[in-house]
Amino acid sequence: MTVSGDSFTKSIPALEIVDPGLQTTVQDFPGRLGLQSLGFFPSGPADHFAFRVANVLVGNPPGAAALEIPLGRFHAVALHDGLISVCGASGVDVRINDRSVSTWEAVPVTAGDSLRCSVARGPGFRLYLAVSGGIAVPEVFGSMSTFLVAGIGGLDGRALARADVINAHAKGAQRKRGYRLPLDLRPRYTSNWEIEILRGPHADPDFLTESDYKELLSTEWRVDVSSDRAATRFHPHQFRWARDRGDVTGGHPSNILDGCYPLGGILAYGDTLTVLGPDGHVSGGSTVVATVAHASMWKIGQLRPGRDTVKLKEINLDQAAGLDDHMQFTLRPQQLEPL
Amino acid sequence: MAAIITRSELPEGRPTVTYRTAGDRYVLVEYGAEATVDLCANFFVHEVARRIAASPIPGVRETAPGLRSLLVRFIPRQISQCDLVAALEEVHHQVPPPASLTVPSRRIVLPIAFDDSTSREAVHRYLITIRPDAPNVINGNNIDYVSRYNGFADRDDLYSAILNTEWWNAFTGFYPGLPSLLPLDPRCRITAPKYNPARAWTAEGAVGLGGPCIVIHPLETPGSYQLLGRTLPIADLVRSERSRSLDPVMFLYGDRIQFERVEEGELIELRRQAFEGAYEYRIELGEYSVSEHLAEVSRLSDEVTSRHAEPASAVRKVQIP
Repeated sequence: MTVSGDSFTKSIPALEIVDPGLQTTVQDFPGRLGLQSLGFFPSGPADHFAFRVANVLVGNPPGAAALEIPLGRFHAVALHDGLISVCGASGVDVRINDRSVSTWEAVPVTAGDSLRCSVARGPGFRLYLAVSGGIAVPEVFGSMSTFLVAGIGGLDGRALARADVINAHAKGAQRKRGYRLPLDLRPRYTSNWEIEILRGPHADPDFLTESDYKELLSTEWRVDVSSDRAATRFHPHQFRWARDRGDVTGGHPSNILDGCYPLGGILAYGDTLTVLGPDGHVSGGSTVVATVAHASMWKIGQLRPGRDTVKLKEINLDQAAGLDDHMQFTLRPQQLEPL
Repeated sequence: MAAIITRSELPEGRPTVTYRTAGDRYVLVEYGAEATVDLCANFFVHEVARRIAASPIPGVRETAPGLRSLLVRFIPRQISQCDLVAALEEVHHQVPPPASLTVPSRRIVLPIAFDDSTSREAVHRYLITIRPDAPNVINGNNIDYVSRYNGFADRDDLYSAILNTEWWNAFTGFYPGLPSLLPLDPRCRITAPKYNPARAWTAEGAVGLGGPCIVIHPLETPGSYQLLGRTLPIADLVRSERSRSLDPVMFLYGDRIQFERVEEGELIELRRQAFEGAYEYRIELGEYSVSEHLAEVSRLSDEVTSRHAEPASAVRKVQIP
């Protein structure tokens, strides 16, 4: 067994990657939050709900580092005895050696076990794989999250590759007893999503017309195939706009003088609505017509590019607080079934 | 629920304020008139951000400046949107009018090699892979286009405009460490339209112009600003966050940048030293007086008005991408 670091940050090899899948990355939560004035969005999981559940099921703090696996199709070998859990996209066949195991619950593994996830065939898009102890990689600007654009965080700032070895913190790595998330607390995945938003900062009446805003809420938006961790794009749509043209900054009426964007902001990028994800750009000169409620951001992370549709539902601050409370309730260890 | 929370008029000499809902975790505060590039609004934004950093509002986690706006992130369990707006309103009344501000501002001298080979390489790739007939490319570069767009007789006049002023970092954003710079000397205002469509590759260290802003690319990324040249690496993200305090490299809002012209061969040597950790970045701590700035701007106003008649007519003779 290799032991690295001092006694407080001892880590041991946990997984060896056989097939990393499409673009699997190490993330933690809430990521690199608090550095927007230096140009950083936080990175971290695109679905912060399934991610945190995966961690608490194996006894980790909810924000511990774990793997984000888009689409599924992943194969690794366990390098020590402990627990793993897989949460997220549905229709995934998870196997330990030749035995099918459940998602949304902790599963014991022993060194040498093969862990495979199939492609996600059901609704949802991203899987989260947590290991007991939590993944151990160096922190960069205060977080272990991978930010691919800048090439920082995670494992050498990149997506995982074949033959990578992922370490876990030694403390808690060999935990034996985990939890299951009760069925009635699991999020419901679909291919036709309803996502809660708050109006603005740049909506009607000064930027959009009243009927533009109604269209924003009544349109069934198709999720473009080019969507990723930085941005989820909807199909192009021409609003009428409440003004003829943009400011000095550009010709399109959606253009304004550059400012910083909220995470989950829905930008009018010309005629394409774009939802800013955790790896998005932090500022620019587009109007932000609405903002996804914090507690609903997980749905953005589970949208399947090129397939799913979205209807936006406006809520107010009280309703957003209610969604927050519900999410916090679900993450409490008392709600989990001990195994 | 309306997108605009409220508007307020501040006492004399200060910009009007618009508070906007930006989800349940952020409030976007906008200052002054919508369509105007106004350094005073930006000075005010920075001062508000600094005040909040110095005496934190409980529940506020961070602020992020834009050209004329401030994004404020808060924890709704700790402070309601309503209380946050009231607290911000109080801060706004404490901030003196921009004209009386003296603000902390580092001065950073950076070498620039105009029309360098990586800028030409990026333009070349753009022509081959994206838009062969791009009107913003003349003689295989963007510089001659930007010169014509601004009504300069030749590229040396463009270079003078860039070298003869300090450039004010209005905010750092888009991607980590990327400064958006405005000229402090109004005679040096230059402008350019952006690429259409965007460029797929830009070298790290590239200096570009889009709209009224100069940016420096901290990373190899796509881009849409007209390329002018190249400077040193400005964001050492990979090695460690020590770069934030010791090395230059992460620009803070309110930093001033002075470009000094070098030939490309010299720049390559300086870049080599920077990567080896042997280059001493030229950074002076200091202050910037807004009142002196405003006095200078008003002294130069006649000269600026006559100078800006030329570009207006030049723009009409140049094709927009």
